[in-house]
Amino acid sequence: MHLSLEDLLAVRDGEATADAAGHAASCPECGAEIERLRTIQRGLAALPEDRPEQDFWPGVRAALAAHRNRRHWLAAGWAAAGLAAAFTLTIGVRGGLEAWHEAKLSRETRELVAASQQLEQQLRTYGSAGRVVSGRTAGTIVQLEDRIALVDTQLSRAGSDRVPSQDVLNLWQERVRLLDALVSVQTSRTAYVGL
Amino acid sequence: MTLNFFEPATVLHLGEPRGATTRPTQTTIVDELVLARAKAGNEAALETLYRHFEAPVYTLARRLTRTPHDAEDVLQETFLEVLRSIGRFRGDGSFAGWIRKVTASKALMRLRTQRSRVPEEELSEELADAIAADRDHGVAPIATAPERLDLEAALARLPNTARAVIWLHDVEGYSHDEIAAMVGKTASFSKSQLARAHARLREMLEPTSEGPCT
Repeated sequence: MHLSLEDLLAVRDGEATADAAGHAASCPECGAEIERLRTIQRGLAALPEDRPEQDFWPGVRAALAAHRNRRHWLAAGWAAAGLAAAFTLTIGVRGGLEAWHEAKLSRETRELVAASQQLEQQLRTYGSAGRVVSGRTAGTIVQLEDRIALVDTQLSRAGSDRVPSQDVLNLWQERVRLLDALVSVQTSRTAYVGL
Repeated sequence: MTLNFFEPATVLHLGEPRGATTRPTQTTIVDELVLARAKAGNEAALETLYRHFEAPVYTLARRLTRTPHDAEDVLQETFLEVLRSIGRFRGDGSFAGWIRKVTASKALMRLRTQRSRVPEEELSEELADAIAADRDHGVAPIATAPERLDLEAALARLPNTARAVIWLHDVEGYSHDEIAAMVGKTASFSKSQLARAHARLREMLEPTSEGPCT
């Protein structure tokens, strides 16, 4: 009776029982199988290193700078609101000349901007409420805030061309989705502390 | 300004995964000076850290997640968290070990949130095809069973959990207990996923052979 695959792996890793190790030492077939597992392991470790196709440092640096300047992302909401206002103004000026598709993108983007501002308003309400938060919830909040900061950075970059696009629409969709998740977390937190 | 901030080393540190196959590039220690500068908010030091760990972090993220886009997101989220909270890094373990753990955590979280959306097996197949197409610049289709796959393509075809476990255990050197803690399961679960991964790899790499040990 040969060793199971789990036992073979345990022998390879030096974690096997004495019985399993003894069998492996005396069984050529199991010994060969363990060597094959070692070969796979070496092959995996030797796979080439990957690099991202583009440089993400500028975005990370911008997000870090934004974080340093704003201890709470809620302040960033005002910057985003300013960006949204500029975006909306641009859309208004160009409105008469826009093609149908562009107009549709503009309308959908405006709706998302409005939804985003509404969610931010909700969050400002919660911002000063709950004081008690579990570590897990805090981690979730931080992660959501980080991702919102990244989206804001991308929006700031995309906002420079002042033309509604699918990419910008997607970013606002992502922002609304993240804000919505954050509102859900904050709602639970507020309920948790009994407010 | 001197750029000689890092001194390559091949030692493992307290808090490091203890696997013998841990990649040399990921065991590089970081000079205290650059860490101190980064903690103080020195932008050049922060960028130095980013440049140094960009490839290892992206590679780990790429192995654990499904697509290059996922890996890029994990890369950014990881550095944002690490560099933002670098002031709290006390040096109990190595900086490389810490950043690798954050990367794995972010990648696993991404897999968890995606798990309910797309059938895992289906996506792994799609992913492997995408990887092969990407590698071959979209010219040559990936070999399909019973043809022999190369190891990288076979790895990409594994189900997400099995792929993550085999990479974390066999390459990154995490123990089953550590993996269990990271994925919220038991060590037995990790062991069975590792065995499953190796069984699937064998099927793909040696489609006509049968394991001698059953």
